[in-house]
Amino acid sequence: MTALSVNQINKHFYDPVDFHVLKDISFDIKQGEFVAIIGKSGSGKSTLLYLLSTMDTDYDGIISINDTQVTGLSQNKLASFRNEHIGFVFQFHFLLPEFSVLDNIMLPALKLKKKSKEEIEDKAMELLALLDIKGLERKKASKISGGQQQRVAIARALINSPAIIMGDEPTGNLDSKNTNIVFDTFRQLAKEQGQTIIAVTHDDEFADKCDRIIELSDGMLV
Amino acid sequence: MNINQRIANIFLTSRVRQLLVAVLSVTFGISMYVFMNSFMSGVNEEQTEITFTAMSHIKIYNELPLEVQTIKPPPTDSHTVLMVSNNRNIQYTEGIQNVDPIKEELSQIPNITGVTAQLNQNVFIRNGVSKASASLSGIETTNEDDLFNTSDYLVEGKLSDLDKQSNAIILGTGLAKNIGVRTGNNVTILTSDGLSKSFKVVGLIETGANMADRTRALVSIQAARQLLSENRSYATEVLVNITDYNDAQGTAEIIKQLTDYKVEPWQEGNEQLDSSNVLRDIIAIAVSLTILIVAGFGIYNIMNMTVNEKIKEIAILKAMGFNGKDVVEIFLTQSVIIGLMGGLTGLMLGATIVKIIDNVPFKMGPLTTLPVTYDSSDYLMAFAFGILITFIAGYLPARKASKLDPVDILRG
Ligand SMILES: Nc1ncnc2c1ncn2[C@@H]1O[C@H](COP(=O)(O)OP(=O)(O)OP(=O)(O)O)[C@@H](O)[C@H]1O
Ligand SMILES: [Mg+2]
Repeated sequence: MTALSVNQINKHFYDPVDFHVLKDISFDIKQGEFVAIIGKSGSGKSTLLYLLSTMDTDYDGIISINDTQVTGLSQNKLASFRNEHIGFVFQFHFLLPEFSVLDNIMLPALKLKKKSKEEIEDKAMELLALLDIKGLERKKASKISGGQQQRVAIARALINSPAIIMGDEPTGNLDSKNTNIVFDTFRQLAKEQGQTIIAVTHDDEFADKCDRIIELSDGMLV
Repeated sequence: MNINQRIANIFLTSRVRQLLVAVLSVTFGISMYVFMNSFMSGVNEEQTEITFTAMSHIKIYNELPLEVQTIKPPPTDSHTVLMVSNNRNIQYTEGIQNVDPIKEELSQIPNITGVTAQLNQNVFIRNGVSKASASLSGIETTNEDDLFNTSDYLVEGKLSDLDKQSNAIILGTGLAKNIGVRTGNNVTILTSDGLSKSFKVVGLIETGANMADRTRALVSIQAARQLLSENRSYATEVLVNITDYNDAQGTAEIIKQLTDYKVEPWQEGNEQLDSSNVLRDIIAIAVSLTILIVAGFGIYNIMNMTVNEKIKEIAILKAMGFNGKDVVEIFLTQSVIIGLMGGLTGLMLGATIVKIIDNVPFKMGPLTTLPVTYDSSDYLMAFAFGILITFIAGYLPARKASKLDPVDILRG
């Protein structure tokens, strides 16, 4: 089954000058697949991931996720689609600094309202334990280290058990031990829950262990 | 508390100083609204009260015909010439000969709160060689007091003293000074018909209206009837007060059906009083709304700053699946909380200011302190306007925030 299908994507930045970032990109990703996106800095990996995550709607071509064509949906529909089906880990974490670690992880689930608060909290605590950041739950998100923030961001992406998890260098700030924990977690989710993982990475070792590698060079697939 | 309200709460409490400034601007606006309106209606009420110390809401009297009637109708044929020299107004019935049936009928009208009869006559008052003209009022003391609170203006003596002796008189302070008498002295009243009678000064009255205080003399209506040799139920006018002085014209129409005498509501010839009340109200509302709107701009400004400051958080929330409506809710909740907090403290501050103003000494005319009213509708209006303005001032930045494109911000 196809989890994600990308058809003839083209993307331009017009400011300050016309810049063709992504050129004629097409590929499919199967459900449960663990895919790495690699490429040189500036090759367009983050840009592509923003398109896949439905946050950026300014492109030509068609993107479908789980047989739903997301291209052309309204902003509000996309927001609830993201909430339910996509977990996203940003390159720069992007936690809400004034909220506690636990609140940060729980927010997408509280928004989704599919489970009770207690269930959500249990799930969040489980993820904290899994990612080895137990004990930080009451701390403010701005008061923990970069690597810890990255793992909180991963936990937040996993809280709603989304069909697709996207990460922009999700292990960029982590030591090899924690990188392995994250990798194994993703691997397990893909295998056992059938969740699809797409991760941008600069880590060759990480990429080699994935099911498939998509390489970008100057906005084109290699 | 739902998730959006919780987010609003955390956003608000993370910036205590900003929250305080925003709340204070609402507090200020609302307290000013309360203060301005309480003060202005205090002034209006005082003004009206002063007006109605000397004037009733409706007056009934026997009007002299404006045109002098010729004693004979004009001749119909051209051969006759009618010449009348020194034509005069001959009126057989002066004043109201029998007030009792009129008073009886007035008491049937439900919104009439008080009725009193007066016998007014211009006279001279003499004390030795000093002489002054005065307008003598024969009054029904209890009814008069009901209508005009006359006893509040007595600086010496009691109104009921007039009923105890038939030769008791109360003089305006200015009048008493002019002819040099004090309470306890005797004065002589000279009527235009040449009668004279001695009266004893039992009290002094001061209303604050100089003209009135220099000419006013009060006796009981019976004493006045005796002095002028009129019958036992004679009066020159019947004065009527009603529950709401604004209804005077309507009630006057009803009374007109009952009597042939002239019925005159207070507005006739007194439009300036009415209009100055309305103008003061307009000023009060204009000024206080301006203050509220300025406060609204303050909130708008602060909410705008908050939105700009939280722009990244908004983008993150949207990336996680919060939609435009959630974002509006988050920011609107913040301004409504600001509005409620500022509103409540504003009402309290407003009430305090009004209380203080109420105690500020202001000795002029009948006033001892600045006049204010305590009217709950002023407070309700202030609160309602305050909430409305914070709502609008909060909605605009909130809508802007809801339209933000998250990638633009997150891409950096
Ligand atoms: N908002 C923007 N406006 C114009 N050009 C942009 C914008 N964002 C990115 N670019 C350009 O688009 C290209 C691709 O950027 P992108 O962030 O996708 O790179 P990347 O592959 O993620 O790099 P890195 O590995 O360093 O994160 C870069 O050349 C960058 O300069
Ligand atoms: Mg990148």
